Amino acid sequence: MIAYIVRRLLHGVGIVLGVLGLLFILFFTVTSPEGMATKALGEKAPPEAIAQWVTNHGYDRPLFWNPESWSDTLLVDHYYSMLSFDFGRSDADDRPIMDRIKQGAKPSLYLTVPLFFIGLFLSLSGAMLVAFFRGTFIDKAGLVVSVLAMSIPTMVYIIAGQYILGKVLLWFPISGFDRDPTMVWKFLMLPVIVGMIESLGGGVRFYRTVFLEESNRDYVRTARAKGCGELQLMTHHVLGNAMIPLLTQVVVAIPHLFLGALLTESFFGIPGLGAAMVEAIHGNDFSTLRALVFIGCLLFIVAQIVTDIAYTVVDPRVRLK
Amino acid sequence: MISWRTFLGLAGACAALLACSNDPYPARDAQQKILYSSFSSAPRTLDPAVAYSVVDHMVTGNVYDTLLEYHFLKRPYQLIPGLAMEVPEAEILEDGRARYRFSLREEILFQEDPCFTHFHPGTKTRRVTAHDMVFSLQRIADPKVNSPISSTLIRILGFAEFGKRLQQMRDESEAFAALPVHGQYEEAGGIEGVRASGDLDLEIVLDSAYPQLLYWFAMPFTTPLPWEAVVYYDGNEGRNAFEEHPVGTGPFILSTYDKYARIVFDRNPNWYGALHPEWQAPGATYPSEGEAGDGEAGLLDPEYVGRPLPLIDRIEFRMEKEDIPSFAKFLQGYYDASGVIQESFNMVVQEDNLSDEMVELGVDLVKSVSPDIYYLGFNMDDPVVGHKAGERGRKLRQAMSLMVDTEGYTERFANKRGIPAQSLLPPGLFGFDESYRNPYRQVDLAHAKRLMEEAGYPGGIDPNTGRAIRLTFDTPDPSAQGRARYQFFVDSWRKLGVDVEIAATNYNQFQEKVGNGAYQLFMWGWVADYPDPENFLFLLHGPNGRTASGGPNTANFNHARYSELFLQMKDMPNSPERALLIDEMLKILEVERPWIELFHRENYALYHHWLANVKPVGLSFSTLKYRDLDAPLRARWREDHNHPIRWPLFLVVLLFAAMMVRGVQTYLEERQ
Repeated sequence: MIAYIVRRLLHGVGIVLGVLGLLFILFFTVTSPEGMATKALGEKAPPEAIAQWVTNHGYDRPLFWNPESWSDTLLVDHYYSMLSFDFGRSDADDRPIMDRIKQGAKPSLYLTVPLFFIGLFLSLSGAMLVAFFRGTFIDKAGLVVSVLAMSIPTMVYIIAGQYILGKVLLWFPISGFDRDPTMVWKFLMLPVIVGMIESLGGGVRFYRTVFLEESNRDYVRTARAKGCGELQLMTHHVLGNAMIPLLTQVVVAIPHLFLGALLTESFFGIPGLGAAMVEAIHGNDFSTLRALVFIGCLLFIVAQIVTDIAYTVVDPRVRLK
Repeated sequence: MISWRTFLGLAGACAALLACSNDPYPARDAQQKILYSSFSSAPRTLDPAVAYSVVDHMVTGNVYDTLLEYHFLKRPYQLIPGLAMEVPEAEILEDGRARYRFSLREEILFQEDPCFTHFHPGTKTRRVTAHDMVFSLQRIADPKVNSPISSTLIRILGFAEFGKRLQQMRDESEAFAALPVHGQYEEAGGIEGVRASGDLDLEIVLDSAYPQLLYWFAMPFTTPLPWEAVVYYDGNEGRNAFEEHPVGTGPFILSTYDKYARIVFDRNPNWYGALHPEWQAPGATYPSEGEAGDGEAGLLDPEYVGRPLPLIDRIEFRMEKEDIPSFAKFLQGYYDASGVIQESFNMVVQEDNLSDEMVELGVDLVKSVSPDIYYLGFNMDDPVVGHKAGERGRKLRQAMSLMVDTEGYTERFANKRGIPAQSLLPPGLFGFDESYRNPYRQVDLAHAKRLMEEAGYPGGIDPNTGRAIRLTFDTPDPSAQGRARYQFFVDSWRKLGVDVEIAATNYNQFQEKVGNGAYQLFMWGWVADYPDPENFLFLLHGPNGRTASGGPNTANFNHARYSELFLQMKDMPNSPERALLIDEMLKILEVERPWIELFHRENYALYHHWLANVKPVGLSFSTLKYRDLDAPLRARWREDHNHPIRWPLFLVVLLFAAMMVRGVQTYLEERQ
């Protein structure tokens, strides 16, 4: 197993280097250091201030090749900063990027953790319900509702949620955020409900398929023949044996918990890392963007490896070679 | 057991939903004089020497007081004393240099802050002196600070030299670079033209008269700064950075700075207006005079006239990235004022007045014209539309100008919120003539066609190619909405036979194209920094050409006579002579047509009836100290208009239960 993990980690290093290289090329294809300076200082900034900003931020060096010193290029600096975990300062406001990440991680987790667990619980419950009532009108209604729910774009959920639950029914604040622990839940109710409803359709359909596939296995028939009740069968036997596809879905979703939800955070005004990513893209903030992409990339690689290891835990037949 | 847990879970969820309300604020704040407003993007910096955006000034404008400020009500804008005793006048010295002397008020204190205790144990604040102004101006000259107005103040004697000297000394000596910043400034010898002659007297000497200098002293850039705050707040050892921790002299102090969610200000007990209401200082007292119509608008209510400011206790800004939720919260009474969003315009405004629905809600509307200009520009370096095309290019530009229907544009894309521009000067500025009608800004197809013929493009055909003349319209907005806007102009020019192609790119690529001079037609806008015609006319001054010098003259217009007149006009005080020069400059632009002037934005501001003293300002300065509100009235209104509708929740639970019962029945039937 150790050899397998080492091999996967080496693959991961290649992926990280590739992602960072791609990000660098894409970013500097669509913008220039002067464009970044104009965005940071404002359109009215005089040319002297633009030039000074470019110098102060080190963007006056060559992108790829410096004949005087091969290491004095933006590309080398880009790799060095990321691989040494020195994220530096934001190009937009000159604040340490680590501070922004620390500040943003909490609101993102406030939103995504309940969303993830409640969404997972409801998706599993819904899937078990429709699988339990398979073939009945509940199953059919579940199919129609799930497919419909999957077809609707996220934006529609957000706007409809804000309109119906916030504006018409007046149940929750339409948007906003407050770090005060006595207030924060109030602002999270609406985005969590909206996010939950949005994820329900896909989740129910996916887990239903998994459960039905398991329900047709021999051990289920044997358990049933031995007199095991349907409810116990679903919750104890089928659920336990459906862990492999479930893990694949669940562990890979964990990086999203840290990185937040791009659209939901932006629309509900939640100052998480998803919103930070959107701001960095809009604000030409290369330093913040690359740090968030790098962290996201690392988390995905780690999540993939953890998933593989988890397979061996839940299913002793799986061996990593 | 599971069903019991499920039941408890459901009951808990329902109870939580039932306990919820849409009120985003703590109940304890309902009766407080707190003004609620929103912001859509985080401030970049709170360092007053650098902060330049509207949202930056939203914070710095409340925390940092300036030597001068604008009169709250009078228009045209008028400067009044702030921290200074009076508005100074230029003294012209024998060698042609100009001197401005500011006298600061006595006994002005900085807000209380730990930085003062750190350097002067036992004290929490200290008195503001002219030396703090000297320090503030030295920071603007410091290349490390990179203030966007450093090139503007370059006319102060020794200003640029000080910056260069400072940089050189830092490069040459590590020991010097390690000194605290005020020590570095002192060792570098200061700025020759900035001197504190006594504790309260500041002298500024410039190479020549520069009347616009005074406007810069009404902006937070030039606020007095305590060196203690700049040195102490270095971002190390758990301390904030100065860019995030303002220490000022303003009417409010920044009490919460969560720049991505919530920004809160509280009254500053050390503000000179609070400590010395008996001074009746112009910047700390509600005014007794205004412009015509202010009395009728309730802005000169005897209840307020002469009252010490500020009138509210706290200001709370909440982040709202999207317009729609922000506007919905205004309609629910959770924001006291709002703009009118495009999506709801027809619901809010009908036949240029408030709709019945809004009147019923108790909402008021204030309109104002922004001191700005939106325009279509020609790149005058281009061989087809620019200077090189001579008379032919001029006539082409004139013809194209005659085809653009601004009213049609604002009606279609801005709900008619825009005053058609006849020249680049907006209303309210010296040199603006309300009766002036630009002959090339009245839509006239026949005249335009004649000009096209005279230009040698009959019916829009270029005789060299035998095809329609083809131009490129470079735009920074590739969205469908943006395209529709630009298409409006393209369709207008098509009537002349001119084939204009839209080249839509993203903002960065557009900036790059403009920087390289690789464009023909473009659309841009400019908002005034200060209310002086120079701040608009410089946009077409030859040496400010974008391609050649990176300056703000994006049209690269270079007209010898215009530039000569500009140099004569720019440093003159407002006078009939200056008006004559401006008239001549506008006549040149009328004929030359480097721009097709479009409109000056018309702002529609909405506010609830519990909010008093709302007078929009187009310039970037805060007027929140003049606002007042009736908190008990607001609390009652919010309660009346925000009763949650609970029955759909019960309906959902019932539907779920019915479905489950029916499902169980079906299941049991099938099992049997």
